[in-house]
Amino acid sequence: MEDQDYILFDDYITGELSKEERLIFENRLKSDSTFKKNFDTFKELSSFLENRFEPETNAFMDNLENISNAHFDGMEEGTEKRQKNRFFRYGQFAMAASIVILLGVFIFNQFSDPAYGDYNNHETISLTVRGVEDSVLKDAEKAFNSKNFTQAEMLFNKILSNDPSNLEVELYKSIALIETGQVGEADELLRGLSETNSAYGNKAKWYWAMSKLKQKEFEECVKILKTIPKEAKDYKRAEKLWKKLQ
Amino acid sequence: MSEKKIHDDQKYIDGLLKNNSFVIQAIYDKFAPKVTNYVKLNSGNVDQAKDVIQDTLVTIYNQAKEKGLQLTCPFDAYFFLLCKRKWLNTLKKNNKEVTINEVVLSEDDDTQELALETALFTEKQELFNEMFQKLGTACKDLIKATFKIKSMEEVAASLGITYAYARKKKSLCIGKLTKLVQESPKFNRLNY
Repeated sequence: MEDQDYILFDDYITGELSKEERLIFENRLKSDSTFKKNFDTFKELSSFLENRFEPETNAFMDNLENISNAHFDGMEEGTEKRQKNRFFRYGQFAMAASIVILLGVFIFNQFSDPAYGDYNNHETISLTVRGVEDSVLKDAEKAFNSKNFTQAEMLFNKILSNDPSNLEVELYKSIALIETGQVGEADELLRGLSETNSAYGNKAKWYWAMSKLKQKEFEECVKILKTIPKEAKDYKRAEKLWKKLQ
Repeated sequence: MSEKKIHDDQKYIDGLLKNNSFVIQAIYDKFAPKVTNYVKLNSGNVDQAKDVIQDTLVTIYNQAKEKGLQLTCPFDAYFFLLCKRKWLNTLKKNNKEVTINEVVLSEDDDTQELALETALFTEKQELFNEMFQKLGTACKDLIKATFKIKSMEEVAASLGITYAYARKKKSLCIGKLTKLVQESPKFNRLNY
């Protein structure tokens, strides 16, 4: 085997050959079986090395490890609990089984089509400033974080009646409106917010799109998602979502 | 192989390839419990099942990436068969004498054939790994840098060599590996 052949193999694989050189190369593959055998092994090894060392593979391994850990950690916890209370073992088993089935159905549904439910794990909010006692703010925060959105909306209104320019609270109010199904009002609020130059403008665009997603107005949703600029925190998930929806 | 119809479950392979967390999660939720059960029924524990599943998914990912694996049977059957064989091999390696408690599962020809392909693929990977270790440090470093960084110009700069030399050296290093692999008796057994 000539060193020159190895250089040629790599040039062919990486697309460095001219059209004419490629033709000559391919003809030689057809006529020279040793040359072809060597090329096949070389190519197989190139793919092997590429996959082994490229960063994507590492990313996959890390992700797999995390998902695996989460899956099995959850299982161990379940086992422990069952052992602690043997009396209810069967009942719990049935419950666990139905949860698994429900989760399965839920996941399967998610798999097929993106839905608002995939995205409504809202981050907890913090409205109170340390040292300042404001029971309405505190209650609103608590209601929102414990997903009591009807209560939260009411309290947000109270805050806004005293402080109508509080854009942060306006944003949270709109989330509460989406959650309680008052999407028309939410859309209005979010449209206004997304036009402001405030820190909440881009967040508002994301939630406006979420509202559209909830209403299954996918075209509108994509249109709004595409207005989220690259530097926004939500850009990545927005891009992912509109690609899925198209 | 190419004439066979690709199974709808190819979506799991594609999901793995795209490193789609959602699909990986779905694989764990749907297919891992059966494997865990099997390992536990056959002298293993949960941690061992976890390793078997993870290794098998890495193999499938590698085969999909390097060989364009196309699923011609249900993912469930294929995945379970791979995991099962991996676990039985582990038991064999540890010289454990055990009675195998079989789980009834239909393993049709397509599944068997595809699992065989994967087994061959795995053996080749092991051989390639072994031979790669035999290369000199300079070759190993250059190859690693080439595929990690992807731009030959940057690789050359990082190693303090010229672009032309880096390219040539890379080809020759893979060439050397090709020779090592071809000279091993195991390769000839696997390839024909």
